[in-house]
Amino acid sequence: MTKSALTLFFVTLSVCLSAQIKIKGIVKDTKGEPLPGVNVMIKNSYDGSSSITDGTFSITTEEKGKQTIVASYVGYKTFEQLVELAGNEIDLTISLKEEINQLDAVVISAGSFTAGDEKRRTILKAVDIATTAGATADIAGALNTLPGTQKVGETGRLFVRGGTGNETRTFIDGMVVLNAYNPSAPNTPSRGRFLPFMFKGTSFSTGGYSAEYGQALSSALVLNSKDKAEMNQTDIGILSVGADVAHTQVWDKASWTGKVQYTNVNPYIGLVKQRVDWKTAPISLEGSTAYRQKVGKSGILKLFGNFNNSTFAMYSHAILDPTISLPYRLTNNYGYGNATYQTLLNEKWNMRSGLSYSYNKNDIKLGDSLLNETEKGIHAKSVLEHSLSDQVEIRLGGEIIDRNYSASRYDTISKQFQSRSFRESISSFFGEAEAYADKHFVAKAGGRFEYNALIGQASFDPRLSMAYKPAKKGQLSFAYGSFRQTPENQYVRINTQLSPERSEHFILSYQVISERRTFRVETYYKNYFSLVKFVNGNPYQLTNSGNGYAKGIEFFWRDAKSIRNVDYWISYSYLDTKRDYLNYPYAVVPTFASAHNFSFVYKHFITPIKSQVGFTYSYTSGRPYYNPNLSTEKFQSEQTPFYQDISANISYLPKSSLIVYVSCTNLLGRDNIFGYQYSAQPNSSGEYVSQAVRQPAPRFLFLAVFITISKNKSVNQLPNL
Amino acid sequence: MKTIILFLAMTATVVAKANDAKYVEAMSKNIEAVYKAQTIEELQNAVNAFDRIANAEKTKWEPLYYSAFGYVMMADREKDNLKKDNYLDLAATSVEKAKKINENESEIIAMEAFIHLIRLNVDPASRGQKYSTLAMLSLEKALQANPENPRALMLLAQLQFGTARFFGAPTTQACGTVTKALEKYETYKSENPIAPRWGKETTEKLKQNCQ
Repeated sequence: MTKSALTLFFVTLSVCLSAQIKIKGIVKDTKGEPLPGVNVMIKNSYDGSSSITDGTFSITTEEKGKQTIVASYVGYKTFEQLVELAGNEIDLTISLKEEINQLDAVVISAGSFTAGDEKRRTILKAVDIATTAGATADIAGALNTLPGTQKVGETGRLFVRGGTGNETRTFIDGMVVLNAYNPSAPNTPSRGRFLPFMFKGTSFSTGGYSAEYGQALSSALVLNSKDKAEMNQTDIGILSVGADVAHTQVWDKASWTGKVQYTNVNPYIGLVKQRVDWKTAPISLEGSTAYRQKVGKSGILKLFGNFNNSTFAMYSHAILDPTISLPYRLTNNYGYGNATYQTLLNEKWNMRSGLSYSYNKNDIKLGDSLLNETEKGIHAKSVLEHSLSDQVEIRLGGEIIDRNYSASRYDTISKQFQSRSFRESISSFFGEAEAYADKHFVAKAGGRFEYNALIGQASFDPRLSMAYKPAKKGQLSFAYGSFRQTPENQYVRINTQLSPERSEHFILSYQVISERRTFRVETYYKNYFSLVKFVNGNPYQLTNSGNGYAKGIEFFWRDAKSIRNVDYWISYSYLDTKRDYLNYPYAVVPTFASAHNFSFVYKHFITPIKSQVGFTYSYTSGRPYYNPNLSTEKFQSEQTPFYQDISANISYLPKSSLIVYVSCTNLLGRDNIFGYQYSAQPNSSGEYVSQAVRQPAPRFLFLAVFITISKNKSVNQLPNL
Repeated sequence: MKTIILFLAMTATVVAKANDAKYVEAMSKNIEAVYKAQTIEELQNAVNAFDRIANAEKTKWEPLYYSAFGYVMMADREKDNLKKDNYLDLAATSVEKAKKINENESEIIAMEAFIHLIRLNVDPASRGQKYSTLAMLSLEKALQANPENPRALMLLAQLQFGTARFFGAPTTQACGTVTKALEKYETYKSENPIAPRWGKETTEKLKQNCQ
């Protein structure tokens, strides 16, 4: 080799053996506390090290020139800084800023119970809705064991914090569901139309809910349907009141589930005596279909449909002379469809849109009188969500709900058809901003603008909520909101120009969730105004001059940790409410309100007998009832005896794909009285005669066998029960 | 002139081989560390090293694989359920990145199944069905990609044991899988010097349930 080549060789060699540079320093958080375990490195190089317990780190590197130092650690924003690697040593002080991680940041919880979404700290799991004894797999039934709800057993609906059952509105995937309950005979409980198995998450609010939801004075029940299924399976159910078959088919990017269910309560009532004089106990045929498809990288399209045809007939006996009876028959046809589409528009924008259609028709025959009622509704909605920064998110949306209602009656006495109908179209815009100051404080402010074309009124309702998390475990939450809702159809059809009924909520809540225990206490004040009232007791002259209030305090304690395989919760609600509405002469406690509501729910998985056992104890203090024999000063001053119920259920798993389910309500057979009905006329002594409104039977016993056929032997319907 | 060009060419090859050797050396050192680690801190250090190598070597799946492995070990040791889920999320992110580099690598898909199984453990009552289904689907894919993968077989045996125990059913199927897994731990050898080797001890412990 030539001399110049050798020189080149040695120069190259010396360049390779250049000096090492030491980069050292300390990593702290914004409070000045040292952070151990932080990954400090030179971008795109192997060189780096982890900070030790006192937060200090030390890196030795042969890299030179302009390099980027990166520091990253879970829960904190990644830090980057450009440095010039020259000289011998570089000293850095790195300060890492906390990231607002949804998993442990403060959450606004006032007036809301969220179930499902397994990673978040929720009070209920999706399974809970379905496994609560006494509910017989009915969503409203299970939610009735939570604070803020009133047990109004003869209806089976959700009555929240001094509000009627009509004041709770159901939404599936953000789209409104009109007529969410199956129709029922008078004073017999109805069931929700949708079964818990369809949903991955439930958000039940007892007040103060988001500006995204409207037309509900008291509560919003927001159900989120399941995403794409993962496995083909066929499910067969053989029930004491019918049978059902469901099939799920899965493709690479889509899945479809279809279910057909036939219910016939007649064989059951043939065996178990009922207080209701059934001519034909309820029979129904229902089908539902759900299709999910992944679209592109982040979009998901969901299509859902539900069809139901049901009928029943009973004899309604007069109170004064029970031998006089009138046949009462109801046939209901229901259809609901919704389509929703959700996708990320880009890194910071998210869009959800949907369309839903509800159709409900009731044909009622009482004696020779015919009444039919039809309600159709279309709901179109679109919401945009935008992350302004990782601390602020805004939500904007618009929707239209267009409803058509008509009722017609054939009166045998006048031999005429009378009909009433109306069309109500409500357009709304809503906006909401949610801002995190840091992990410990969040505030949400929003408003809802509505225009009701039927009455030609525009309105604005503000909503405000905030939460503060002082320590690692507890959090304090506050919510305020103004709400409005069109009165019930039976009143609007008489006076289509009625204004919406209004309410205002103020809620303060404190909750602690730790590992598998939850404690919560909440207090509230609700102001009702513009309620429908009869003028001079005339049900055909209606105004909005009614008002009322509701206030109370509630406690909730849940423990899934203390006793192995046992999960229990206790809930207590105290309600003080009065309202002056409909035919009330002045403000009194309404008939659906009870001062004290208590529930104890217990669930236990007993491995030796391969069964999940549950029982629920419920107590409700007496409710007022209207006694026409009393003078006006004593209007609704008497109360029924208290309500008490112990229900139990057991799911037995002899094999992985087979479940035997037995449930029974009111085990002790207590004769619960929900109220009293009085005869339309006084008897010969001038007194109105009463008849107690009782449960349709002392107990409801339900048996079922569920079979799952699928490739994966460990799959069954236990989570759905 | 010719000599200089030849010399420079040789240097380039030496440098390239040195880079590969540097990669294998760095990986081997950290793989020993992650296998030996006892505490969450030690695991975090090893994971940090793998994340750094992954950042520098954008075409290699192994650093992401071991980063996921480290996070799964941390999740397993962590008592707080919220932090457990946090670590599993980080493991899942590493697995997703690894899958983008090598779609059909049996070890990566088996690691995905491992993550599902630990997630299941956090709350078996609510998560049982969802994650046992997802784990089963992943293990099927992993075994399709490499039927000899002892780790996929070991995880399958764990899933089968869990299911059998939950329903009080006999463990014959699970025991069969365990025996097969142990066999593969003996016979299966990968060509990759930094291929995963873990899991034999766990499999031997599982076998004890079969006598």
